[in-house]
Amino acid sequence: MFTRVVIAEALKSLKVYFFSGRTLVWALVLPLGNGLYLYFLYLPFATKSVNLQFNATTYTIDLVGFTIIGQLLYSFFTMMLLAGASFEAERWQGTLEALLLSPANRIAILLGEALANAVNYTWMLIALVLSWVAFIRVSILVTDLFALFTSLALSYLAMVALGMCLETVGIYSRRGSIFTAWLQEPVMFLSGQIFPLQSMPGFLLPFSYLLPLTFGLMAVRLTLLGGASMHEVAVPLVALAIMTIVFLILARVLVNYAERRAKAKATLTQF
Amino acid sequence: MVGHSLRVIASTAKVNLVMTWRFFSWTGFALRFFTPIMTLGAAWILYNRVYAGNLAPEFGIAIGSSGYLSFITIGNAFYVFVFAAAFVVGRVMFWERTTGTIEATFMTPMSRLAYMSGIMVAAATNSLVDFTAVFLLGLAFGFRIALFNAPLFLCSLLLTAFGLFGIGLITNAVTLTFRDRTTTANSLMILFMVFCGLVCPVEFMPSWAQLISKALPLTYGIRLMRASLLGIGTVDPTYDILALLILGVIYVALGAVTLAQIEKNLRKKALFSVF
Repeated sequence: MFTRVVIAEALKSLKVYFFSGRTLVWALVLPLGNGLYLYFLYLPFATKSVNLQFNATTYTIDLVGFTIIGQLLYSFFTMMLLAGASFEAERWQGTLEALLLSPANRIAILLGEALANAVNYTWMLIALVLSWVAFIRVSILVTDLFALFTSLALSYLAMVALGMCLETVGIYSRRGSIFTAWLQEPVMFLSGQIFPLQSMPGFLLPFSYLLPLTFGLMAVRLTLLGGASMHEVAVPLVALAIMTIVFLILARVLVNYAERRAKAKATLTQF
Repeated sequence: MVGHSLRVIASTAKVNLVMTWRFFSWTGFALRFFTPIMTLGAAWILYNRVYAGNLAPEFGIAIGSSGYLSFITIGNAFYVFVFAAAFVVGRVMFWERTTGTIEATFMTPMSRLAYMSGIMVAAATNSLVDFTAVFLLGLAFGFRIALFNAPLFLCSLLLTAFGLFGIGLITNAVTLTFRDRTTTANSLMILFMVFCGLVCPVEFMPSWAQLISKALPLTYGIRLMRASLLGIGTVDPTYDILALLILGVIYVALGAVTLAQIEKNLRKKALFSVF
């Protein structure tokens, strides 16, 4: 039953959004534009590489690769936030009450939406990476393919789990999309997407460590551009695994709570 | 005819100003500052903590002795001005349709250009608040005015608003045709943000990006504004003023023709209030 709900929701979402302006903007225009914007931010400086410090080791990473990977993972994160807006979309369509009357597992609905968004974005992500490697000559240095794969997979899972937690706002309040928009720039800044994390002011670092994107960026950049091995990125990977479990449990609790509250107050379809 | 159009401009601007301030949205207001604050913060960190002030020598040649952070602050203030004005003007028809007033609006004998001009006047006036706020924020990040040229500053603002008006007209035509709210506006904002030289001189960009930036009026507007505040000697104001004016005229003419054509088409097919 759980798997059927996931597949049904994913198929529905794919059919609705795959050939839509939303996918085009969020998965192609915004990542490309933002990536270029951040790359241009670096151009006035004399050095065209970025030093990433981790575990007392300094990795010198190509600037284009640094900004591209940052932007791609960040865009993936925003796609997961969009997955979190699925309940809000149901509200707009007038189908939220019917959906929540059904015995479908709420987490399965969210997972289906996240899966569809991942598919929407992944094919574009692969195309972008390949074109950058071919045309812009981004220097990729992979020494441990398994570490890279694990970094990508755990980053994905942790971000999906966080997106599901944030979905609570979509059920509980009618300001879900504004909340999502509010999150974007702070997350971009705190996660180390724009500049290396070691340059972040100390008082902001605790906030950075609350975001799965921070550890995802660390692990993917080091394994894809810095040639780091599994052993070297063990810390961010463990952090991502823990975050996935914690956020999944939290999502379950929060979604149930928000649904109960909204039903008790009869606010599910109020705008 | 001119008197009538001026009355339309004044009344539309008044209605829009009253509506903005009567139903003021703090969340919407704050949201407009997120990108500039993030960019200013990131630029400050890059300059002070990542590269310790080590700028490329060409940067100094391109913008004179002015500081990097002043350069970035002006770019961001300009962005906020464009964002506030372009989003309002570009979405007029979408909101007319959503609120159910689009048919009534198009039944009136007023000039469409005068109506849109009124909205642009209100949007530009409102966006000056945001514009000033970013400069004040910039002071905390190291923004300093090197040499203030008031006529050039005013000229850059007015001509930029004129160019934006043209872009707004075209955006409305697209919005009316495709019933789209965010895709066009977001894509346009990205285009402006990336290619107008907000965060680096246009000369630093790859040649293909420079070609795109030359077609955007805002590229010249931002250069004029920087010249007026930072006293950049390498910029020829006459060239930029002329380029901005010519592009503005082209965009306004294109927008006016497209909008009129689409209005005619929608009327004929009775599609004004169809979603």
